[in-house]
Amino acid sequence: MTDAEVKRILSLPALQILNKEKSSVITRLEKILKIHARVMRYEPNGIVIREGDYGNSAFFVLSGEVGVVLGLPPESLGRRTLHKKNFWQALSQLWSNSKIPEKRDISRYGPEALRQRDDGDSQTTKPIFLQDIPRVFDSKEPVLLKAGDYFGELAALGRTPRSATVFAKTDAELLEIRWQGLRDLMKLVKGWRHEIHQTYRKNALKTHLQATPIFSHLNDQDLQAVADATRFETYGQFDWQGSYKDLQEKDSLEALQEEPIIAREGDFPDGVLMVRVGFARVTFRRGNGRKTLIYLGAGDFYGADETFELLKGKKDVRMKVSIAGLGYVEILRVPAEAIEKHVLPQWEAKNWQIRTIDKGPAKKKRPAKFRRMADYFDRSLADSALLEWGVQERFVNGTQTMLINMDRCVRCDDCVRACAETHDGNPRFIRHGKTFQNWMVANACMHCADPVCMIGCPTGAIHRTVAGGSVVINDDTCIGCQTCANSCPYSNIRMASIRGDDGQLVLDKQNHNPILKATKCDLCSDQITGPACAYACPHDALKRVDFNQVILD
Amino acid sequence: MTRLWGFGIAAGAFFFLILVWTLKVDQSLGPSNFISGWAVFGVLVALVLFNGRKRLPFLPLASASWWFYFHITGGFLVVFLFWLHTDIIWPNSLYNQALVFMFYSVSITGIIGLFIEKTYPKSLTQSGVEYIYERIPERIAEIRAEAESLIEECTEKTGSDTLAKHYLEQNSLYWFFIRPRFFFNHIFRGRAAKHWIKNQCSLLDRYLNDEELAYSKKIFDLANTKRIMDFHYSMQRVLKGWLLVHVPLSTGLMVLALWHFVVVQVYL
Repeated sequence: MTDAEVKRILSLPALQILNKEKSSVITRLEKILKIHARVMRYEPNGIVIREGDYGNSAFFVLSGEVGVVLGLPPESLGRRTLHKKNFWQALSQLWSNSKIPEKRDISRYGPEALRQRDDGDSQTTKPIFLQDIPRVFDSKEPVLLKAGDYFGELAALGRTPRSATVFAKTDAELLEIRWQGLRDLMKLVKGWRHEIHQTYRKNALKTHLQATPIFSHLNDQDLQAVADATRFETYGQFDWQGSYKDLQEKDSLEALQEEPIIAREGDFPDGVLMVRVGFARVTFRRGNGRKTLIYLGAGDFYGADETFELLKGKKDVRMKVSIAGLGYVEILRVPAEAIEKHVLPQWEAKNWQIRTIDKGPAKKKRPAKFRRMADYFDRSLADSALLEWGVQERFVNGTQTMLINMDRCVRCDDCVRACAETHDGNPRFIRHGKTFQNWMVANACMHCADPVCMIGCPTGAIHRTVAGGSVVINDDTCIGCQTCANSCPYSNIRMASIRGDDGQLVLDKQNHNPILKATKCDLCSDQITGPACAYACPHDALKRVDFNQVILD
Repeated sequence: MTRLWGFGIAAGAFFFLILVWTLKVDQSLGPSNFISGWAVFGVLVALVLFNGRKRLPFLPLASASWWFYFHITGGFLVVFLFWLHTDIIWPNSLYNQALVFMFYSVSITGIIGLFIEKTYPKSLTQSGVEYIYERIPERIAEIRAEAESLIEECTEKTGSDTLAKHYLEQNSLYWFFIRPRFFFNHIFRGRAAKHWIKNQCSLLDRYLNDEELAYSKKIFDLANTKRIMDFHYSMQRVLKGWLLVHVPLSTGLMVLALWHFVVVQVYL
């Protein structure tokens, strides 16, 4: 933004929460806005954010009105509803698959999907409009936001999906601020920071605490007290995917040293740490290095044992491990004092059997012997090697990683052929990738827990399916901007030049460049067999796995 | 492993059932060969369906690994059923000899294939690198180009053509770098290629000065990389290629077996 525009915006009554600060603060505020913000103008019915999207920015309404709606049908948001093929539709793939690579029926595309997108300022790009607006109004009652209101900050700061769809009700001018700007604003403007934290405590924190085994038994009053005492901390870079490739070139010790420390081995334990977003590595000293004990993902916690021992009066209690952030991580720290006051009496009353690491009810199938901390400490270097590698390479992010046991794989490529057969003749992965010992993680979409590919998709074409939660791309609304492909740290999204019925490349009418579409593994979401690759492997060498389960089981 | 045990027990039970049945029919002087013949033909048809299943990955016809275990246990089962059916190792008539020859060929190639599939992947993994089979020729060409540019650079910088001449000598480095070598030795996991490279290196060393030796070392490092690539090429070629023997033989066997089946049904 230009200096003049920043000044104009700050003078607007809509930004009074920011512009009532002291002049020294205003000067710094101007700098933040200049770097991290832009003004977006929307025509009526233009979509600002979609429910379920991942975004890294928040919006202030400067003028006009925007509507907030929940539960819109996927089609009206530019997504497709996946229907499983029936037996005959599945069989018909035998003769209906195209011999032409990446052939598309271009008659079904709208004009946006057949135009090369400009890389310029998004203010000039055509916004995506909410489809069938009268029906939306008939069925849903939008909540209206006016000048001065803001939205999207929790999802942007928390790296969580947008919880609602927001569209322009009238001509609207919005100030979009990237997460870096939001973070700086929170540091600078105390009132605003307080407001955001209060909103989070009110809306989401109690639910998060309630879902955590060590707090799930608390009554509402104690839960609220714990929520009030909880501190928010963030570590690492939000855009960690940008530095991921540099990280791979470093040796493991160097990379380990660069990870931001959340808690240090030998320090005094000051409460329970819960991971809200991202991943953290738990290590302990071994020889002159650090051995990875386990990693924590969203919903996991650490420190209950130490805190319990401390509160029970045991002397010289120290942190047994160090915890460091992997990429970007958000931590909720529940102080020991709050636990002593609100949680300890109930733990004692119930003779609570604390587990320092408990992955929650969904993962109870793990053999019992691996569910106590001592077992993790006792694992041999060889047993921990796959975990070290998975954490180092950030494969722990995957929920459906394609893991191939190369001692079993006969390189027959039946998996690749099966993938092609179920995707109109086009395989959606490469049977090649990083290897460790006899394991290979192939270049197939891992359907990440933290799907950075979904941040910034301008049309919402890349999204999570409602059923199953796999990350898929709607080919009809993909405009080939490559945002997802560039964001994927694992290079698992490929841009394909599409062809028409005649086998010729489809070209942009204006600049004659080929039209691109993002392609990737969709986990065969529309197939009755599930992932065809795993189903077609005769040797059980290829599996789609949550890396967490593989390395801990 | 549990699945394999399950199939094994089922196959054993099936064989026992057919055996008892044929013995009973034998005792009553009935045509017991019909029973074992039907069993052999039925199992053969079921075994052939595995190939059809591979072409229909989008249908819920049980996983390929289920079919694989079925194919293995069914393959061993049919050998025993075949012996039960024929009673002899080698028949007299030409047609039957052809049929038996095809049956044994299919069985032997299947067992060899199974051995290959269970042992080769581990050897490939132990080589420490992974190459995509289709890209190996391209990678070999790149390595050759790199080796040749090193030799040119050596000649230009040292003014000596010893390395270049050796490269071009008959059955020397050019021969090695031009395409995959030591195919048979690699598939039997021999060490001839490693020995050959070491030998070439020691042959040359005494004629090179320190500067040339540095280039020679780089070239032999490339030769070792190419040796591992050759190993992958040979092993993967066998892994992919054995089916090109097994499947056509199976087709031939099915044609002969079908004709035998028709003839028996019509004339006996």
